[in-house]
Amino acid sequence: MKRGIAITGLGCLCGAGMNLAECLASMFRNQRNPRPPVRFSTDHPVSYPVLELPDEFQLPLDDQERVYARTSQLALAAALEALADAGWDEEKLRGKRVGVCIGTTVGCALNCDDFYRDFKSTDTEPEMGPIERFLRSNPAAVIARQLKLDGPNQTVVNACSSGTDAIGIAASWLRAGACDLVIAGGADELARVTYAGFSSLMITDTEPCKPFDLKRKGLNLGEGAGLMILESAAVRGGKKARGYLLGYGSACDAYHLTAPRPDGAGLKQALAEAFATAEVTPNQIAFVNAHGTGTPDNDRVESRVLAEVLPGVPFLSTKGYTGHTLGAAGGIEAVFTLACLQRGEIPANIGFTAADPELGGIPVSKNTRIDGSVALSESLAFGGNNAVLILGKGDD
Amino acid sequence: MDIKEKLKQVLIEELNLEDLTPEEIGDDDALFGEGLGLDSLDAVELVVVVQKHFGVEIKDMEEGRPALQSISTLAAFIEGKLQG
Amino acid sequence: MRMAIQGIGISGGFGCGVETLRAALQGKSVEPQADCAERDGVTDSLPAFRATLEGVDEFFPKRALRRLDQYAKMTLLSACLALKDAGRFDVDRSRTGVIIASGYGALQTTFDFLDSYLDFGYSCSSPTHFSNSVHNAAAAHVSMHLTIPAPSLTVTQFEMSVPSALLTARQWLAEGRVEQILFGCIDEYCQVLHYCRQRFFGVGEQGPLRPFEFAKQSAVVGEGAAFFLLTPGEGGAAYGFIDSVRLGNHGVNPVSLPPDDPVITGADGHRECSRWYEQALQGREMAAYAPLYGSFPAAAGFDLAVAALSLRDQTLYASPELSGAPATVERKHRSLSEGRLSCLKFGPGADYGLIRLSS
Repeated sequence: MKRGIAITGLGCLCGAGMNLAECLASMFRNQRNPRPPVRFSTDHPVSYPVLELPDEFQLPLDDQERVYARTSQLALAAALEALADAGWDEEKLRGKRVGVCIGTTVGCALNCDDFYRDFKSTDTEPEMGPIERFLRSNPAAVIARQLKLDGPNQTVVNACSSGTDAIGIAASWLRAGACDLVIAGGADELARVTYAGFSSLMITDTEPCKPFDLKRKGLNLGEGAGLMILESAAVRGGKKARGYLLGYGSACDAYHLTAPRPDGAGLKQALAEAFATAEVTPNQIAFVNAHGTGTPDNDRVESRVLAEVLPGVPFLSTKGYTGHTLGAAGGIEAVFTLACLQRGEIPANIGFTAADPELGGIPVSKNTRIDGSVALSESLAFGGNNAVLILGKGDD
Repeated sequence: MDIKEKLKQVLIEELNLEDLTPEEIGDDDALFGEGLGLDSLDAVELVVVVQKHFGVEIKDMEEGRPALQSISTLAAFIEGKLQG
Repeated sequence: MRMAIQGIGISGGFGCGVETLRAALQGKSVEPQADCAERDGVTDSLPAFRATLEGVDEFFPKRALRRLDQYAKMTLLSACLALKDAGRFDVDRSRTGVIIASGYGALQTTFDFLDSYLDFGYSCSSPTHFSNSVHNAAAAHVSMHLTIPAPSLTVTQFEMSVPSALLTARQWLAEGRVEQILFGCIDEYCQVLHYCRQRFFGVGEQGPLRPFEFAKQSAVVGEGAAFFLLTPGEGGAAYGFIDSVRLGNHGVNPVSLPPDDPVITGADGHRECSRWYEQALQGREMAAYAPLYGSFPAAAGFDLAVAALSLRDQTLYASPELSGAPATVERKHRSLSEGRLSCLKFGPGADYGLIRLSS
């Protein structure tokens, strides 16, 4: 097994909690609160539950930081939590080459439907505020700007695998010596446009989602951010690691714009690359944080691949707790994977009650102790992207 | 225009099947798989087409699958819903 | 590790294909089209450098492309042209990474999706438009149509999209994740962009584009797709080598330019970015070619194409528009005997991408 790249800080906020500790607490209590969206409304005949950050939530940002679009605010909040966790602040970062690599979907889309509605109307000149906000809100650029960072900067827009890919890319920058440390992960806000989009694809459930369950009907959307700090050995010194990034793999199905390849070939290729780069074999994996959106297609394809490549390895989806947070998902789930490795326990795959004989296996249905120091987190995206991270337990 | 004719026209327009004419689509040709070769994304787009052009809702794919087999089955489904 | 440029496929305001870019550099006149937009009964006209989609049928039958929007077709066309230019269209493509850099993504489709529910209600939201509006859809279409099951990445970073994505391209090749990369730089024009630019910059967008008049807003909007076939730098290169890529913020840590390289700047009449070029390039030999293709974030890829052509042709082409140019800007084509140059792109916040190339 390779030593891997040290991860020294974690930050996370989503429908499950406003920081990592809160998220873990609610997940291990097997709690979730999907409900109709509060911040926007549509005229759909039915409503689809979502995992929105609670209304009363106040992001720990100052006025200067609130000028950004919501996705960038979420990214900033998680970045600050992760940096504090790793013992960094703006002062200590001065003079270092700091990379920022963030995955997102909504965060880069010019989805300003209020602006556009006014643009289309014949009696209103639209306010340009939403466009100005969009132009100053590229998530990776915002983090670099707010913290006055100098270094490589990238916003990955690979749909639902963005967060996973961003972490894999961040690691490659460190290996290349392009920077001393990287803030990496994913962020995405819940938006009316994506709500309309996913419901038009008929892959959203009108009830709380049921990943890998016989009666699953689709996903619940969510929002949030999950970020981590990856450090080179030179700057880390003797600091304890919260975990290690051992390997990364990715591959494209090259099959369909929205449906996964039925034979899972792309996912298998991504898994193979991740195992090879981590120098780890499937039987060393303690558990898998699956993509598990709760859609009929994803869960069928993914569970069959897991049964073939990682037979007998416990797996779960945390999307019952967080919803599908799109570009943030890979980041949030990598953070959860490391936290669970440290804790030695994974939460139940909430929403699962009955097995589907068409699937390759069943997820863990209750909180489960795990042994072992290596775990895997995977994401499958629109466009057929598959991305896999292999993560190692941190220092005691 | 009868429902089948209108369906063929909007199918060609909305799914961008510009190399086809309505005459070339048989009423009972399979829309998916071997026939017209439409796929899962076309299926959900067709649900929108039916809503937009006929005002008829297909609630989910359980309802949709049998209706979307061919122009004939879809026309029958629409007629049934319109008659209430 | 350096990267070799083996092929270029490009479509922009000057035409389609690398030969049309060369002709423009050699002096063939390129003019933007007048793009008219009607609003509240008033028609106004703004110049725009538009790209063509002619030629995509040569590679794929129409039916196969029925689901692609204009943005994806522009992408796929240039990708195919790059492979063809490199003589590798019919060679095994299974280990070809696909990386796309775009400032704004598929803009027109984003608004087509909004149209579908604003005009007809949420139950009529178009799933096809939605799927195509997701930023990595074009990369997916490239992978699907060229049957490439290798890693795929799309990056959106406004003006820094191209240099940022190049960092990852270099890593993929250095780590042997892929054998070659189809690296694309794409941005498209649409009416909403036209409207926003008018609201922000007004008269300044009427052109002509004068990149060296740093204090003025003289941008002219453009669109296009530039693709490169990149391989590890161990063998030869059809055009030249990308030796290094660096990103940073000039305000935090001033950009360190290589001492002797002529610099192709991304100066494009956008005043907020132009001031940084003026500051950083005092006394340096520089050039700017945006008057041939317009102002858009992915134009950094067009600057890169000019750099590659310049190395291959061993010629530093004269900048096409010299108004306001300092003495360090060459007025005529000159021999590029030193075989080296740099491309420098600034964003409005002093963020920069510096790419060094050599023959």
